[in-house]
Amino acid sequence: MATYKRSPQPSTLPKTSILSTLRATSMVESKAALPAEIIVSILDYLPVSDLMRFARTSSRMREMVYDDTRWVARLKSMGLWSDLEAKKRFEDAMKRKRDAAARTAANGDSVLGGNKEGSTTIFDAAIEEERRMAEAIQTTRQPGATIDGFETLSLNPIQPESPVQDPTALLNILKTVRSVRGHARQEFSKVYGALAPFYFDLAQAKTHTEPVVFKVFRDPERQAQMLSNLQVFSKCDWADGCSQRVGKLSSMVAIFEGAVLREFEQGYEFWDVDGRMRRYAHVLHSLNGGSASTDLFIQKHPIFNDREALGNPIDCINQAPPDDITLEPSRAFFELLMRKLNEQSANMSRIFPQPAAVFWSFVDKVREDIIMEYATPLLDVTHDRHTAVYLKAVSGLFEQCMQFVYSLESPNGSNLSNEDHAKAICLKVFEPHMDLYLQEELETFTSHAEREVSNWEQKLSEQDATVESFYMGSFNRQADKNDFLSSFKKVVMMPVSVLPSAFGSNKPTPTATITNPTFRSSIVGTPAASRPQTPGLGNNLERSGSPLPPEAPTDELKAKAALMANRLEGIKSLFSIEVALDLVHAAKESLGRAAKFVRLGGQVGEEAREQCEAIFVALVKVLGQTHVKNGFGKAVDHLSRYNPREISDHSQTAVAPLVMFIELVNVGDIISQMIEVFYEQQLAAPKIADKNDFMDPAGLAKKKFEQMLDENVAAGLNKGIDVLMDEVEYLCATTQLSTDYNPPPSSQGNGLSNGADIGPTVTAKRITELVSSHTRMLIGSTEKTMLDVFNGEVGLRLFTAICKHLKRQRISTDGAINLIADMTVYFEYIRTLKNQDLLVYFKALRELSQIYLIDARHAKEMATIIADNDRFGGVFRAEEVYEYAERRADWYQVKRDVERAMYGLECQIM
Amino acid sequence: MSAENGPAMITLQSNDNHVIDVERSVAERSLLIKNMMEDLGEGALGQIVPIPNVTEPVLRKVIEWCEHHRNDPPSTNEDESDNRKKTTDIDEWDQKFMQVDQEMLFEIILASNYLDIKPLLDVGCKTVANMIKGKSPEEIRKTFNITNDFTPEEEEQIRRENEWAEDR
Repeated sequence: MATYKRSPQPSTLPKTSILSTLRATSMVESKAALPAEIIVSILDYLPVSDLMRFARTSSRMREMVYDDTRWVARLKSMGLWSDLEAKKRFEDAMKRKRDAAARTAANGDSVLGGNKEGSTTIFDAAIEEERRMAEAIQTTRQPGATIDGFETLSLNPIQPESPVQDPTALLNILKTVRSVRGHARQEFSKVYGALAPFYFDLAQAKTHTEPVVFKVFRDPERQAQMLSNLQVFSKCDWADGCSQRVGKLSSMVAIFEGAVLREFEQGYEFWDVDGRMRRYAHVLHSLNGGSASTDLFIQKHPIFNDREALGNPIDCINQAPPDDITLEPSRAFFELLMRKLNEQSANMSRIFPQPAAVFWSFVDKVREDIIMEYATPLLDVTHDRHTAVYLKAVSGLFEQCMQFVYSLESPNGSNLSNEDHAKAICLKVFEPHMDLYLQEELETFTSHAEREVSNWEQKLSEQDATVESFYMGSFNRQADKNDFLSSFKKVVMMPVSVLPSAFGSNKPTPTATITNPTFRSSIVGTPAASRPQTPGLGNNLERSGSPLPPEAPTDELKAKAALMANRLEGIKSLFSIEVALDLVHAAKESLGRAAKFVRLGGQVGEEAREQCEAIFVALVKVLGQTHVKNGFGKAVDHLSRYNPREISDHSQTAVAPLVMFIELVNVGDIISQMIEVFYEQQLAAPKIADKNDFMDPAGLAKKKFEQMLDENVAAGLNKGIDVLMDEVEYLCATTQLSTDYNPPPSSQGNGLSNGADIGPTVTAKRITELVSSHTRMLIGSTEKTMLDVFNGEVGLRLFTAICKHLKRQRISTDGAINLIADMTVYFEYIRTLKNQDLLVYFKALRELSQIYLIDARHAKEMATIIADNDRFGGVFRAEEVYEYAERRADWYQVKRDVERAMYGLECQIM
Repeated sequence: MSAENGPAMITLQSNDNHVIDVERSVAERSLLIKNMMEDLGEGALGQIVPIPNVTEPVLRKVIEWCEHHRNDPPSTNEDESDNRKKTTDIDEWDQKFMQVDQEMLFEIILASNYLDIKPLLDVGCKTVANMIKGKSPEEIRKTFNITNDFTPEEEEQIRRENEWAEDR
């Protein structure tokens, strides 16, 4: 590029300096020529005025100087160039150009269109754009038309009017700059022309009164505006000595700022809100954003001086009963503070051009100096005194703080919502306490739960002796039990029907939950009242009964739990629903407190959420591992020790430990449901735990608990069946009279009662009652499949027991009627179990009983029946039926005939 | 400049066939030499490196600068050009160093350009910029040996066009 001639210059020009002559001489011999890229980088270091002189040396140099990128860089350094805007303008220009080209082509304009046709290069577009502008602005003079056309067109003399004549235009000069490709120099010239004189003048000024800026503009508003402009302008000054100039400018600005700030301060002292304060706040804002005035305003604000007037944090403790805290004083504190701040908010919007920013930094300062000062000592003191109080204080203050920020009336213009501010502020206030708090919360809850359970266990072991007798002896409340269980079942079933609606529509349930408990309690009222009070439980009933009415159930869980407690305290010998309830309540409280912090989001929110889950896990663990599991363990133990022969009283149709156990299953189920509801309401609904995340610790804990429960129930039921069958066999052995199926033939008339009522015997009735009462109890309290298995097992074992029993009897044809009746009773009972497999067995049994009815004379038919496998559905083989037939009272009379008929042998006996 | 025992030396040869031994760390202020050494490896140490575009006096001058600036932090390659422009002031030693006749100045600039010694090139450019400052176009033409291809009217027009930039 650098092809300028190196031919010796005539050194004859008159020069005064010897040195320059010398230099000129050296030039003659110079062989060094600088390439264009070096010249370009030299130009980068030149001040603007020298640049323009350089442009005048030759057309090539001018090209270099006029290069658009050079000026774009300067505009960019001032932040006045937008690539986006330039691109948009360029594209618009392109579009116009295309339109124009299309039009000219259509018109067949040969003169202009000739050299433009088909040319869609960027260069052409630029020409077009410039031409367009040139035409728009004025008629171009054409003195340099001898050079190429492009050059001429770029020579639009854009001369700003003398800046001193139009000062206001100068103030806004920076706003008028456009980003146009190819015109950066012109745009820059506007700015430079306007600001450079002031800038260089200021840089040379010795005192702060000297600069022209302060003479041209008299009022501080414009001076500030101009100084701010100059500061922007100084960024494009990187020529030699710029650092001094920039330093000078900023010291000048500092002096100016100081003066304005003094004015502002004086206004502040006189509280001249709409006058000086407003005016100088605006001045400072236009100077450099006004942070100085904001700082001053906040620093000197009287609110920070009389902070004692707002309240003493220790009041919260002093005004409360010992070991407790009242948050009333803190509420008053926040309210007072809120009112004061809202007052200030109004003032700020009068004073400051951007009140929102000022307001929030003010609030932040308040947060730091007042709220923190208030909260920290209070929390420290409560922490030293009592943990429970501390926990209450933290969550209470947090809630109040959130409320406080929400209710602030911030001036308009903030781009953050109140909520974001609230979060940020509360986060800052409580962050130092969070770790300690969350840890304490969990620890308190865990230790509380463990204490509760161990207390209860201790109490239980103290009462062990009485409890023992209570198990074994006091089972005369069959009716109560049934009542109890039925109402119980209702409650258990209740949540299933209520839950979906409650969770479907979140909040409209309160009315439903209020009516439900009352409705239910009216049902339950009778059994609870009529139940004979067992020794040692009376006071418990009082205790658990009384809290129910006054505490209006706030949510479904509570309502249900309260009812449950009322009804269930009868079975507290193994594990107590009350303890469970208590724990759930404690957990709910802890969770409620900790969950407030979850909405803070971020790391703290996440920690709080994890802690909530941890609380739930602790609850489930304590409840499940220690409480419920022990209870089940004990119940199973009792079951296995049960021996029907040791118990004298068999008048009831229930086996005491088994009933106890089944009740336990029910209680366990209630607890499980409680936990489920609790999980749904307290964890899943507010999104603390993710239901779909199978790795979620809370969900895992819940599953583990349920699994544990199921295992224990299964183990217990297994034992229970044994016990039940023992009882059945015992009943068979003791109550079945030998005359039941073999009435003495002598009493042909109505001598004995059994002749009169043809129907099932007492034994059969008792047995079915016994078994059915137990199976019925389980319905709805445990899993359906488990119940099926249980019933199946019970039926099968019952069948075996009856068969065994039958083989021990001797049955006459008359007694067969009774037997058939008994079998029918069993069959009917089994049918209620709805188990097809079982039914087959009992059907066979019924059929079997008919062989006793056959008169001795029809031995052949009897033989056919015995041999008829189909008749018994494959349950009995012929040999087995034969064995049963042996139990006939007259067997030895018919045996021969039967055998002959069966085996076709002519027996030679006799 | 003079060979010494100890540090690794590189032998440079100017275009007028003078041979100069330079410490490797000094020579590697030149990115050209540095990259070359990296490419060639240790084997190049014993060989003579020809610097065909630079005469002996200029090469010595450049090496003098490199010696003085051997401990400078390496220039951040292709950094924001704005940052570079901001530091227009030349430090005292460099100012003195650049007090040479114009031919030498230009030769140094060309050599530093060729050898890719950015800081030296910058100092050179700044020095030239300072020479230009305050000069009339005619003086500039003389300094840079530029032929005026403007008619007086044209020149006048450019002047008027850029009146806004003139010192007041």
